[in-house]
Amino acid sequence: MHELKVAEDLSVIVLEAAKNGKLGKVSKVNILFGQLIQIVPDIFEFAFRECVRETVAENAEIDIEIIPVKMKCRGCGKDFRVMENRFVCEYCGSTDLEIISGKELFIKSIEGE
Amino acid sequence: MKNILDRNQNKANEVRSLLKSKKVVMVNLISSPGAGKTTLLERTLEEIGSKFRIGIIEGDITTDRDARRLQKFNVPIVVINTEGGCHLDSHSISKVLPSFNLDDLDVLFVENVGNLICPSQFDLGETFKLAVVSTTEGDDKPGKYPMLFREARAVLLNKTDIPYTNFKLESFKTDLRNINASVPLFEISCTKSDGLKGWFDWIEGQIFNE
Repeated sequence: MHELKVAEDLSVIVLEAAKNGKLGKVSKVNILFGQLIQIVPDIFEFAFRECVRETVAENAEIDIEIIPVKMKCRGCGKDFRVMENRFVCEYCGSTDLEIISGKELFIKSIEGE
Repeated sequence: MKNILDRNQNKANEVRSLLKSKKVVMVNLISSPGAGKTTLLERTLEEIGSKFRIGIIEGDITTDRDARRLQKFNVPIVVINTEGGCHLDSHSISKVLPSFNLDDLDVLFVENVGNLICPSQFDLGETFKLAVVSTTEGDDKPGKYPMLFREARAVLLNKTDIPYTNFKLESFKTDLRNINASVPLFEISCTKSDGLKGWFDWIEGQIFNE
């Protein structure tokens, strides 16, 4: 249920941005979540709705994009997408890898008027 | 683009630099409920309690039962009750740090709330994370919770003495190596005190090196 804490922190950022941007209504919030973060979108959206009830963001649409896990091999320098949680370079077999995507917890943009 | 958990991350960075300046190593223990974190701490305090100045933060949803079990070691212990929250965060850690005299500590063990997903997403400002898993949970945990097993500096497999499970050590190791090929793995039984020597040597080495 880390969805609740993430939703809570997101709602604070969204409402602050709406206040600073003098938005009367937030219509859409665009978010990126890495696959490794294991956020369940339905639970997250439910939690976010609770956090923004009776605010300018109460009817905002939530757009969640899930970013797949990608790694860069420190051995051969190539990067590749990780399938089925097997963190092994698919080109040279090395396990000396750096995560280049999949851990995101980002707000891409906030739309409103 | 803004990180949603910026607030947590900024506070974690503050905690980390404070602890670094005080030369305190903070170890974040993560496992599912009942894997044996508290028993591991008991065995560890018995062994290294006289060699280092140790403090403990007990994260629990409710009750101070774990803390009471550790009271006999006469080390400073602070309980954080999350009142339903499934993980600790950097703000809760930062709030309780003034209860410790950091100048008189070498290491601070944080027993996180029992849960394999949520605690691994929230940086507490720790020096490193440890994953504790037990044979009774099944051998498929690394693949199901990759983030924790990827980020842990060591993995402890507890309850290796229990014979009545269908846990397959080789499957577990294959699963773990797919996620993290080089992480040290300690196969232990905290109730029988099996296999703990390697763990004690390792943790002492980590505290010295930091």
